[in-house]
Amino acid sequence: MALRKKPIVAVVATAITAGTALSACGGGGGGTTPASSNSTYKGGNLTYLYEDTVTSWDPQRSYVGVDLSNESRLFSRSLVQLPVTTDAKTAATPIPDLATNTGTKSDGAKTWSYTLKSGVKWQDGKAISCADVKYGLERNFNPNLTGGPTYAWGYLNIPHGSDGLPSYKGPADTKNQAAFDKAVVCSGNTITYHFNKPFPDFPLALASLREFDPYRKDKDQGVKNNLTIFSDGPYMIQGNWQTGSGGTFVRNPNYDPKTDGNRKALPATITFKENIQPDTAASRLIANNGADQSAVEMMNIPPSNLSQLVAGNVKSRVENPQSPFVDYILPNMKRLTNPKVRQALATSLNQAAYIKGYGGSQTASAAKSLVSPALLGYKPNPTTGALGQGDVSAAKKLLQGAGVPMPYPIKFTFRNNPARLAGAEALAATWNQAGFKVTLNPITNKYYPTIQTPSDNSDLYWAGWGADWSAQSTVLPPLFDSRVNLTSSTKTSDYGNYTSKTTNALFDKASMQTSVEAAASVYNEADAQLGKDYAYFPLIVEKFVFLRGSKVTNYINNPAVSMYPDLGSVGVSK
Amino acid sequence: MSTPLTKEQGRPADAQSGPLLQVDDLKVHFPTDDGVVKSVDGVSFTLEKGQTLGIVGESGSGKSVSSSAIMGLQRGTSARVSGSILFDGRELMEVSDEEYRELRGQDIAMIFQDPLSALHPYYTVGAQIAEGYRVHHPDASKKDARNRTLEMLGKVGIPNPARRIDQYPHEFSGGMRQRAMVAMALINDPKLLIADEPTTALDVTVQAQILDLMVSLQDEFRSAIIIITHDLGVVADVADDILVMYAGRPVEKGTVMDTFARPKHPYTWGLLASMPRLDQERTDKLDPIPGNPPSLINLPTGCAFNPRCAHRDRVPGDKCRTVEPELFQIGTQQARCFLTDQDRTEIAAAHDVSPDAHDVSADAHDRSQESA
Amino acid sequence: MFAYVVRRLIGGVFLLLLVSLVTFVLFFAGPINPAKFTCGKQCTPALIEQNTKALGYDKPVLEQWGTYVVGIVKGRDFPDDPALKKTAPETIAHCSAPCLGYSPQTSQNVTTELQPRIPVSVSLAIAAFIMWMIIGVGAGIIAALLRGSVIDKALVGVSLIFYAMPTVVTGLLLYQFVAIKWQLVPAPQYVPFSQSPVQWLQGLFLPALTLALYYAAGYVRLTRAFILETLGEDYLRTAKAKGVPRVRVLFRHTLRAALTPIVTQAGLDLGALLGGAIITEQIFSYPGLGALAVSSANQYDLPTTIGIVLVVATFIIIANLVVDVLYGLIDPRVKLA
Repeated sequence: MALRKKPIVAVVATAITAGTALSACGGGGGGTTPASSNSTYKGGNLTYLYEDTVTSWDPQRSYVGVDLSNESRLFSRSLVQLPVTTDAKTAATPIPDLATNTGTKSDGAKTWSYTLKSGVKWQDGKAISCADVKYGLERNFNPNLTGGPTYAWGYLNIPHGSDGLPSYKGPADTKNQAAFDKAVVCSGNTITYHFNKPFPDFPLALASLREFDPYRKDKDQGVKNNLTIFSDGPYMIQGNWQTGSGGTFVRNPNYDPKTDGNRKALPATITFKENIQPDTAASRLIANNGADQSAVEMMNIPPSNLSQLVAGNVKSRVENPQSPFVDYILPNMKRLTNPKVRQALATSLNQAAYIKGYGGSQTASAAKSLVSPALLGYKPNPTTGALGQGDVSAAKKLLQGAGVPMPYPIKFTFRNNPARLAGAEALAATWNQAGFKVTLNPITNKYYPTIQTPSDNSDLYWAGWGADWSAQSTVLPPLFDSRVNLTSSTKTSDYGNYTSKTTNALFDKASMQTSVEAAASVYNEADAQLGKDYAYFPLIVEKFVFLRGSKVTNYINNPAVSMYPDLGSVGVSK
Repeated sequence: MSTPLTKEQGRPADAQSGPLLQVDDLKVHFPTDDGVVKSVDGVSFTLEKGQTLGIVGESGSGKSVSSSAIMGLQRGTSARVSGSILFDGRELMEVSDEEYRELRGQDIAMIFQDPLSALHPYYTVGAQIAEGYRVHHPDASKKDARNRTLEMLGKVGIPNPARRIDQYPHEFSGGMRQRAMVAMALINDPKLLIADEPTTALDVTVQAQILDLMVSLQDEFRSAIIIITHDLGVVADVADDILVMYAGRPVEKGTVMDTFARPKHPYTWGLLASMPRLDQERTDKLDPIPGNPPSLINLPTGCAFNPRCAHRDRVPGDKCRTVEPELFQIGTQQARCFLTDQDRTEIAAAHDVSPDAHDVSADAHDRSQESA
Repeated sequence: MFAYVVRRLIGGVFLLLLVSLVTFVLFFAGPINPAKFTCGKQCTPALIEQNTKALGYDKPVLEQWGTYVVGIVKGRDFPDDPALKKTAPETIAHCSAPCLGYSPQTSQNVTTELQPRIPVSVSLAIAAFIMWMIIGVGAGIIAALLRGSVIDKALVGVSLIFYAMPTVVTGLLLYQFVAIKWQLVPAPQYVPFSQSPVQWLQGLFLPALTLALYYAAGYVRLTRAFILETLGEDYLRTAKAKGVPRVRVLFRHTLRAALTPIVTQAGLDLGALLGGAIITEQIFSYPGLGALAVSSANQYDLPTTIGIVLVVATFIIIANLVVDVLYGLIDPRVKLA
């Protein structure tokens, strides 16, 4: 379930298609060369226009993609990090950050060790210790610190209760501390993690999420620290973060760039302005006045403003990369039991018509798989990747051959917004020609909780997903492993009730692989099986349309930061 | 034209300069999208000091509009006013707005029909009365105005004026409110008082009190009064002269005594017949004039009253329907009617309700003698 | 009068209790467990349950409401865990009375969360109020006095346009043209009064104007109608007949009566607006109550939602009371009892 922040002004009659998403990494295949001027000038103030409000600046509680990247670039360093680059393959390859290397694996990728660099410090000048790294993970288990990723909960080799959750409940849980201490061991400046299964993606998880980031025990005030920033990175907060308006980051005097080598940290200050409307941001950046000349944004330019972007002085400041988000359509396997019916739907699915309705080629491109093209080991789906051309006659034949009454009634449920509604109407038109009778069921509020309900009687669902890091392990198993998803109370993320022993077995096989590459080829097999079963139909890869001020330098489209402005790179000119 | 009554005999001979008010061919026309509404169309009368004129008519007959015209209240509106209003030797049609404002409330005062709506709900009664005094006495202090107000409140018979002066209109009873209105109107000793249906909104006993009050104050201040009413009983009570209006025009003029004794116009007969009378059985319903008043935009040709007149066919040559009668002088009286005295006598003989020798006129006579 | 105000205030407190109870019941009547919104991507039923417990949503609704109400009087601790209080007291967030709860989404006391936002919405509402009263009532008076003229028709027509125009359109247009294209004012931004009164006022101008234009449009028509109605009143004829000068008739007699009902309307409008102008605050990125109301409702953030509802309800209750008291003072016919 790719939980995205909901567009804040649903009432504004413009389609706000993409906000932020729960995605650490991934990113589009449209890697472009830096379009803005390059400069090594250090100084100036960068303005960062932020939609809505930041949910959390607490590393262990953050799970919004853009926040995870920004935390990493500004104030929360990890053992390893993702490089400042525009190349998709490089972007998916972690490099050392606090640790001296990208980790030493042993025991079939079940044990990982890292040694801290010397000279890495907190903003108060104290050295970052192994205990700080360990403590950060401990507090990830504190049940009161809700909202963050929980990969460690499943992977760490610690006892689990009958409910599947780890028995260890964070630093206050003295009873189970010993068990945790066995799984995460500090020895001098070296920290060793013991997992209960191979975790070849671990460096990617470290670099993409903030779950494993260090935290100072003497600074931990639990839930009170949700928006408290205590830095070990190039910037620290000036004063306090003000929910609703934002805050200003200034240089951290105790950060030593020699221990880094990746983050450029060009601007002297970075001012975040929260609660900015996409329309407002677009207008301001198009106008390019005053402080907005050195501003970047993280929200899509709304369709209503797209036509203004062609003007000469604006055009050069527009980026239109592929986002890490893939939208797809799922048949409800409990209702559409006949595979021919699903095949007919996939065959007559008209991606081009959908994109046209959705806002055109600036807003999306056709997807060939649920896996984002930016992910390691990406391959188009061998079955459904070739469909989606809206082949009405072939679909009609399939449907006639299926021996079902026609027109075949279909209830299509999707998360409502004007763009998606227009797209859904276009899809329905082709489906209807092929012999279906489609009823559109747009849902505006609480979309995912609604379609997670096991009793929901829709035939088709729209859904979107962004990977947590650039490996398929964070895409296919969370969406289609029936064993982790389906319970009597919720479908979790397997909205289509897909259950397949073959696929589950492939997931098990993939999870036993000791390298990302080896796992990727098994996931390709699983994706092929999903295609064969017509378990999902790829729809679109969403695209971002970002605008920046004319004084912004070193602007890049980096898949490592999900194509959002890379605060490890951008600067402002004098 | 007004026949001297008993009251007039006690008048000082100070009116050599002519009557106090002389209205001549007064017209008030309102242009509207549908045409010109001739609310008042050629009204003339004179009024001497200390005298009372009653203007009578149905609603829409133009009686209130004429009084507003005398007050100059249509100035600055779309109304077209013409004719002559000679007041105390001045032609009011020619005075400036500011001069007119100074006259209003000072020399000409007015009492309105519904004292509740005519008093401002947000100001105390005392403040409203005092305001009338202070706008015409700019040098008077607040205290002077208050004392004068207290005095007036006492004069109009409001008990405990010191307490009442600071109360709001809604705290007054209907009769008390009208007494306050009288006090407001008379605070500057006006030469002319126009009372527009002053008792209509009041119950019968209070009506009588207010009328008595007006008459007694008139005697004290020697004001002339125009009393506008649809109630002939009121006219009989207080007026010396009567002017009956129909469709914007006077149809009958004369002294109260003559007119009640020998009304000349069929419309006046109708009005008199529709009066409740003590000498008739309760079972008899009142005798309203059949039909409705005409539209003031499209008056009937001929006599404006002809569609409602039972006697129009008596006049030979269908004159009532074709020729507009002028205001004929009939003895001391005037009437806008073609009927001859011969006709009137025959009609009187044939009708149960006699237009002759109306009881009320005797009343009126008695009363005016008493109060003299 | 005093007894009346006290009685009304007590009634208001009961009303607030009722409002909070209804909000609680409605919130939990929904089919969706609010804890789902706190459990991230690996949202297993077990994790939802753990979060439900951590947030206290597992207790009966009435008990939660009771705790909430007691918290307003006595204050509360989050998480209310006796064991944790002993072992790690520094991780307990204390929410002192009047505690409006603790938002699991933002991990902040709702009181703390609302506090900086109230002056924002209040500044905006008052600035807009002053503007719309001047524009709306002023134009309404002019239109009424020049009834039927070209100016009257133009004023009524223009007000109709602004009335029909949603604030989102007015706001975006003003922003786009006045602030960005023509740069007549700096891009609106909320600056606390204490920081810089001048910037505070500059920042307020456009958002307040957006609201003011919308409300003023209604007030032009309202004022015009009330004045025309008053102009036909008998007591104005009385005033003229007394010889009261025209200007005095207009100000002392006409406006006094015509504007009194507008006081009621204005008071209630202001009271409702104090609780935040959702769209305008969003357009101009004003960190007020309206913007928070939307995000908290979207994020299923019960404590924040209730907190805002209560603050807004309080504003409205007080505005009602003030209007009634004021009415008792300006209209002698009204007796407060």
